[in-house]
Amino acid sequence: MSQEYSDSVDLVNAGTVAYLSGAVLIAALTAVLAQFSIDLPGGVPFSFQPFGVFFAGVLLGPIWGGFSMLLYLLVGIAGAPVFSNGTAGVGIVLGPTGGFLISYVFAAAAIGLVAHRSLDPVGVDDLPAVGVTAGLVVGSAIIYAIGVPWFAEVQGWTLPRAAGFMAPFAVGDAVKIAITVGIVAGGNELLERP
Amino acid sequence: MLTYTPGETLAHRLDPRGKLAVQFGFAIAVFAGPAVPWLPAMLALAVGCLLLAGLSVWRALRAYWVVLVVLSLGPVLGAVTIGPPWIQPERGLDSLRSVARVVPVLFVSAAFVHSTPVRETRAAIQRTVPGRFGQLLGVGVALTFRFIPVVREDLRRIREAVLARGGERRPLRDRAGRITTLALARSMARADRLSVALQARCFAWNPTLPRLSFAPVDYAVLALAAGLALSPLLWL
Amino acid sequence: MITVRDLVHEFDGERVLDGVSLTIADGEWVVLAGPNGSGKTTLVRHFNALLEPDDGEVQIGGVPAAENPVRARTSVGMVFQSPRDQFVAATVGADVAFGPENLGLDHDEIDRRVAEALGAVNMADREEERIDELSGGEQARVAIAGALAMEPDHLVLDEPFTGLDWPARRSALQRLDTLAADGTGIVFVTHDVRDVLDRADRVVGLESGTVAFDLPPDDARQRLAEIDVRVPGPGAG
Repeated sequence: MSQEYSDSVDLVNAGTVAYLSGAVLIAALTAVLAQFSIDLPGGVPFSFQPFGVFFAGVLLGPIWGGFSMLLYLLVGIAGAPVFSNGTAGVGIVLGPTGGFLISYVFAAAAIGLVAHRSLDPVGVDDLPAVGVTAGLVVGSAIIYAIGVPWFAEVQGWTLPRAAGFMAPFAVGDAVKIAITVGIVAGGNELLERP
Repeated sequence: MLTYTPGETLAHRLDPRGKLAVQFGFAIAVFAGPAVPWLPAMLALAVGCLLLAGLSVWRALRAYWVVLVVLSLGPVLGAVTIGPPWIQPERGLDSLRSVARVVPVLFVSAAFVHSTPVRETRAAIQRTVPGRFGQLLGVGVALTFRFIPVVREDLRRIREAVLARGGERRPLRDRAGRITTLALARSMARADRLSVALQARCFAWNPTLPRLSFAPVDYAVLALAAGLALSPLLWL
Repeated sequence: MITVRDLVHEFDGERVLDGVSLTIADGEWVVLAGPNGSGKTTLVRHFNALLEPDDGEVQIGGVPAAENPVRARTSVGMVFQSPRDQFVAATVGADVAFGPENLGLDHDEIDRRVAEALGAVNMADREEERIDELSGGEQARVAIAGALAMEPDHLVLDEPFTGLDWPARRSALQRLDTLAADGTGIVFVTHDVRDVLDRADRVVGLESGTVAFDLPPDDARQRLAEIDVRVPGPGAG
């Protein structure tokens, strides 16, 4: 009786399912990390949100990394409380910090492209630390290149003023890049996948 | 926290596609239109959306208070200059005109979030975005929504475990690295199991799409969305 | 009917399955027992065309699983360990509907199957509940319903009740008994046969990727101990 479906059901191939699953879990991880920060001395929050963007590009490559961040953005627009402070909705994406959220899609894709130097991702074990570092630096630059002018526009500020306002939040970014390179480069048995 | 709340209001009964279209049309109308008298009219429309969804203005304000604080910094800091003349009121006013536009957009999205379950947005995506991309996007949104509480629980346990082993005394870099590595490894293991489970249940490119249907009122909603999206033509 | 012939599966140059042959008839209650690493999970994934044989073949109803994975996956329903990772929707009804939706069935048929599958695991009329708010036992039963909604001939459960307390296990097992009585074949994969030995028609023991024995439950007790599988004492259950 199961014969009846066999011709009509167009199965998604195993490779695509694996990447979709990876993109889903990284999107969910980004959503959770966005609610989590450690306060640095001086009260500046060390946010864990960028790690999600970094991992998306490094682990999934340009296409699926970008796709993962698109899922994060859409699930927030759909109403899951995944943006900072547990907020949701289109209003947040179009609000002052929305440029950063939108930039994640492009940043993850760029990180993937630079780290993997191909549209098809290679195994994390085979990624050279220098490529990963370069990718993360480019990705961070994209996040600020989109996020800060957007912030200036919505706030009705000049660009230098917006940049000055955002500067303290960038304090931890070099540390985050170093941590991410430390986690993924040079092989990590926790992240080896069958 | 503002999330979907089941209810019987008109906003709850509308088709998600029309509601999504109104949000984008509304944003275009607000950002491309003049401040006076258009913006107060749009604010009134946004408050109307809130009421239709059974949500008070106060609750919407409270849900978005952090964003509103950031927005209010716009005119305050915008008017201040480092050095004489110290205060430039017209700069503050410029900023106020800009940030004020975000408030009605926040209201409309609050009404949407309050009245629309994630699975309806997923259905709207699958029925609007064509082909395989739309299918992956729709299923991806549903799966992401489903896994957020699972990953949140993972992260909570990891933090407790790191704390229990004296993680607080370690330097930040070490602590953050430990937490993120464990969270990432656990998420990737879940991704592998999810992948197998999806295949076992015949995950296909051509499934039966979720039920959605337009009632007459939904066409009115779509017309409103189109009108809002085209409203910038008024100001040419 | 599941027919496994000389199945070989290699991973990293090692033979996880080393020439397994086995037949499971429709409606049979089979316990597939073996210690961790004996190849149980790998074997049942071949039933579902989730893995491809390196040698040998798995046939479902006379058709090679690798050639017709849709048929393999609709006639063999899988329930994995850790139900939390196999749910694909936030609510009970939406999750159980996932399989039938992928088969392209119409909405009325999907609704009928969801209601029937949930009824079969004693979760009727709970479609709208959030999965994360259910108990472990309820989650295990919803996972079973997800597989049942495909209306399979065989239900394969891979260590499905790990971490559940006895009342939850008993409740799920009673559901399996009812399903078996209605003609669904059960393949129960486990390293701990205490709950299921007396329910089975046959016990297949796996050791290091080969079938060590294939016997009725009473004859299997002695052999189970030899392959390091915990056996119930007299009168235990």
